[in-house]
Amino acid sequence: MKKTPFFVCMLLLIGFSALYASDDEAGYLKARENMVRVQIEARGISDAKVLKAMREVPRHLFVPVQLRGRAYSDSPLPIGGGQTISQPYIVALMTESLGLKGDERVLEIGTGSGYQAAVLAGIVKEVYSIEIRKDLYENASQTLGSLNFTDIQTRHGDGYFGWKEVAPFDAIMITAAVDHIPPPLLGQLKDSGKLILPLGNPFSYQNLALVTRQGEDYSIRQITGVLFVPMTGHASDPDAGKGR
Amino acid sequence: MIPAAVFLLSASSLAFEVLLTRIFSISQWNHLSFMVISIALFGFASSGTFLGILDARKQGWEKHLSTDHSYKILSLLYSLTAILSYIVLNRMPLDYFRLALEPVQALYLLTAYLILCLPFFLAGLIVSLAYVLMPDKTGRTYLATMTGSAVGAFAPFVLVPFCGEGPLIILVSLIPLVILPFPVRGLKPLMPDDRRSGKSYFIMLLAGIGWTLTAVFFIFHDNGAMIHVRPSAYKFLSQMLKYPNTRIAGTVFSLKGRIDRVESPYVRFAPGLSLKYTEKLPDQWVAFKDADDPFVFFDSDQIRKTRFGAGTLSFAGYHLIPDAEKTLIIQSGGGSAIACAIASGVRNIQVVENNPHIAELIRRHYGLSVFDGNSKTFLKHTDERFDLIQIENWGPSIPGAAALTQNHLFTVASLKSCLEHLSSRGVLIISRKLLLPPADSLRLWSSAYESLKMMNAANPGEHITVLRNWDTFTLIVSLPPLGPRAEKLKDFARQWNFDLVYLPALSEASANRYSMFDRPFHFLEISRLARAYETGEQKRYFNEYFLDVRPQTDDRPFPSRFLKWSGFQESYQASGSRFYPLFMSGEIVVWVVFIEALVVSVVLLMLPLLAIRTRGRRFPVRSLIFFLSVGAGFMFVEMFFIKVYTLLFADPVISFTMVITGVLVFSGVGGYFSERIDMPRLRYGLAGLIACLVIGYFSVYAVVGRLLGLSLTAQYVWAFALLLPVGLLMGLPFPVAMQRGLESPFQRAHAWAANGCASVLASILSVQIALNFGISTIMLAAVCSYAISLFSAEGPVKTIVQKDQ
Repeated sequence: MKKTPFFVCMLLLIGFSALYASDDEAGYLKARENMVRVQIEARGISDAKVLKAMREVPRHLFVPVQLRGRAYSDSPLPIGGGQTISQPYIVALMTESLGLKGDERVLEIGTGSGYQAAVLAGIVKEVYSIEIRKDLYENASQTLGSLNFTDIQTRHGDGYFGWKEVAPFDAIMITAAVDHIPPPLLGQLKDSGKLILPLGNPFSYQNLALVTRQGEDYSIRQITGVLFVPMTGHASDPDAGKGR
Repeated sequence: MIPAAVFLLSASSLAFEVLLTRIFSISQWNHLSFMVISIALFGFASSGTFLGILDARKQGWEKHLSTDHSYKILSLLYSLTAILSYIVLNRMPLDYFRLALEPVQALYLLTAYLILCLPFFLAGLIVSLAYVLMPDKTGRTYLATMTGSAVGAFAPFVLVPFCGEGPLIILVSLIPLVILPFPVRGLKPLMPDDRRSGKSYFIMLLAGIGWTLTAVFFIFHDNGAMIHVRPSAYKFLSQMLKYPNTRIAGTVFSLKGRIDRVESPYVRFAPGLSLKYTEKLPDQWVAFKDADDPFVFFDSDQIRKTRFGAGTLSFAGYHLIPDAEKTLIIQSGGGSAIACAIASGVRNIQVVENNPHIAELIRRHYGLSVFDGNSKTFLKHTDERFDLIQIENWGPSIPGAAALTQNHLFTVASLKSCLEHLSSRGVLIISRKLLLPPADSLRLWSSAYESLKMMNAANPGEHITVLRNWDTFTLIVSLPPLGPRAEKLKDFARQWNFDLVYLPALSEASANRYSMFDRPFHFLEISRLARAYETGEQKRYFNEYFLDVRPQTDDRPFPSRFLKWSGFQESYQASGSRFYPLFMSGEIVVWVVFIEALVVSVVLLMLPLLAIRTRGRRFPVRSLIFFLSVGAGFMFVEMFFIKVYTLLFADPVISFTMVITGVLVFSGVGGYFSERIDMPRLRYGLAGLIACLVIGYFSVYAVVGRLLGLSLTAQYVWAFALLLPVGLLMGLPFPVAMQRGLESPFQRAHAWAANGCASVLASILSVQIALNFGISTIMLAAVCSYAISLFSAEGPVKTIVQKDQ
């Protein structure tokens, strides 16, 4: 009998937590819907699969807890160690530019928070993602695992050389600024495969560029100017930055 | 003894200034190195302002500042502030390229400016005190100042290779302390009684020794970490060092640039590489000049085994002459040109590299024949003909950072000289970064066209082709018209998925096939330029285009400068209506610094004048004009020779050292003899100087052209000797007018400030003059300045005559 008040309190606490959590979820859902409508659709992204994936992936779970309130804002956000999660519109634009149909195998270079890989997984069959920084690789793998993204394979390593064992890919996405297109990645593209990347001076402005393979030929199209945070470090540097 | 103290201080402060310039060009870019000149001269000028105000406000100040003790305290303070300001600067997170993004950077910049002004202010105070307090010995003081400064300008050139910039800046800051153990003759002892003077002497000596030991501690503590020059985080070297398993394998210090050899598995340099190249890149290592400007060394065997060299844009030239026998590569950064030549299998490769350390590394790594020096000198000396000449220069890692850089590689005269050294089937290859909106490609195309016209080509356009990938372009100039060989170029472009940009009768559809822009911007603009040349309307084209893309001459050699003020709005729009990319342009910095300098000059010159108004004294306007024009004229002449000698030595550092040393030594000697010259005779001297400058204006390029054909030693000797007449005559006006044209300590202090302010403004203005009107116009500015001084010299003459009567 003495324990009754304790149990009542616990029940109330759990009840309130659940209520708040559900309120939070509803809030995030609303924010996500708003993000897709205002930031993405309004800017011309129209691929239904991309919009659906952007609506479904809980972006707030890929940002640090203290920044969850800003997870759906129209900007990149820091994810620790000087790295960022890309602006939602850039994620959508890069994804749409690949013209994915749903049955592709995609390689992402630079897992970062794992958000871009999750969006890709909402569209295609298989996603492979490489991250050179071990802490990011571990965090992203854990987040993706906890959210049950079983179609995403992650790996710790230098993305410059691609993922030879599972190549070729229908599409490759590089999510950090680079000043040249890594030749090994071009070699891992399937015929008609596409590679998208922020190409240019990593310490200045870059162009979002789309490379398309047609048989033995490659063409490249400049999509738009972007400012990705310079890739100020690779594996060893705790202050390294990654593009948005 | 006062001249000795002035000599040491002048030597130290100028060496400090030269080393700061070096340090800024390593830690930031040249934009801020440029600021150092204004910092130094403002420090000097403000000392004159300070003394002027002191004279106006405090009677008897001379008694306090004309003692042996005060000279030593000032020397000690100079040393302290010089070393501490350098250490603070080195630790400050100042980054020029974040200035437009982070307001705090403006605070850092201002702090850097103010703290670095301090040592120059103190040095200026000591020198101006000598002028103000000993007007009868002005000539000797001037000699000490100038020769000291000359030694200070030259010393770093010799000493940097032994110590590096960091330790050397500490050591040169200690130089003025040499006077501490000695009494400064000509000045009063500190205290009337010997015992107190002796005590003060020992305290001063102990302070000097203590500070010297502290400074030595700074050099050696933690392997010199406190004074180690840190490159900007945005420089290529800083970025490279963040990769794992990356290390600096060796560093060579030299005033021509610090060279760091870096070994890393992450060196991946492949400018102009085709998208069709999908193999591994050849192993590479890299040498950085001043922490940027990489020169990459490839594994020669891997180049031969892979298609790497053949898959670059520049290889198009080799594709035209598959059995080429002789190649000349003119290097200025990069390194892929050598890879290209090796891949082609050409038997005879001659390299020209201006930096001796890079030249030595090329010799050792590739075993090639390397001429270490100016490419113009090499071409002047050789009668050889080459099947291919390739000029490689990609520019700095940040666009716009080279806007102020003087570079004669791409002038019309240089291209013509290259064409003259081609065999009858030869081609000239130039590869550069592709800029959008089109700029560099237009300028090089028109330079090639002009040089072909000078070679009497009937249809220059038929000798030129341009190809591009997504971020670089290659311009090829063929000595014979391309004719049927154009088909080979089309095949090459198709084979490697490159786009043709210019080829006679090229269609728009085939100019935007592989690296696609919304429109084929480069094709369209070069075609428009070509039509303008065909109809003789090229001048109109250059006037109408919103960027400055006129071909560069040896008188106006700024290949990376495109900003045109009349097209500023369009440039702003083209950069996405963002000011940041425009702010990267050095030219904006020059204007910002000039406006700032103008405001500070007005303040420095007005403050003392306002201070004396209350006392009913004045500073004659004509005297003010005289000292302003003399200061400006002196600086214009120096800047003119520095820029002209850069054409001769292809190195601004050698040019700077030679001109500053020569002009200062000769004008110091002129100043020494000035004690025997009165104001009327000075006017003859000024007239003679103007005559020399006018002769120089008309003959300088002819003389430099002749000097290029001489040996390096003869070039040095002649270049130095040519400064003699001008230097001697330039040494007269300031000391003569200081000694004979002014009446009070206030006037002399103010004249010193005016001279310093005018020098600052002229040094900044001469950069703008060179960019917009050409280097020789700086000489016209010098002539005008000295003409003004000739006419304004009348004022002090009358004063002196009245005084003498």
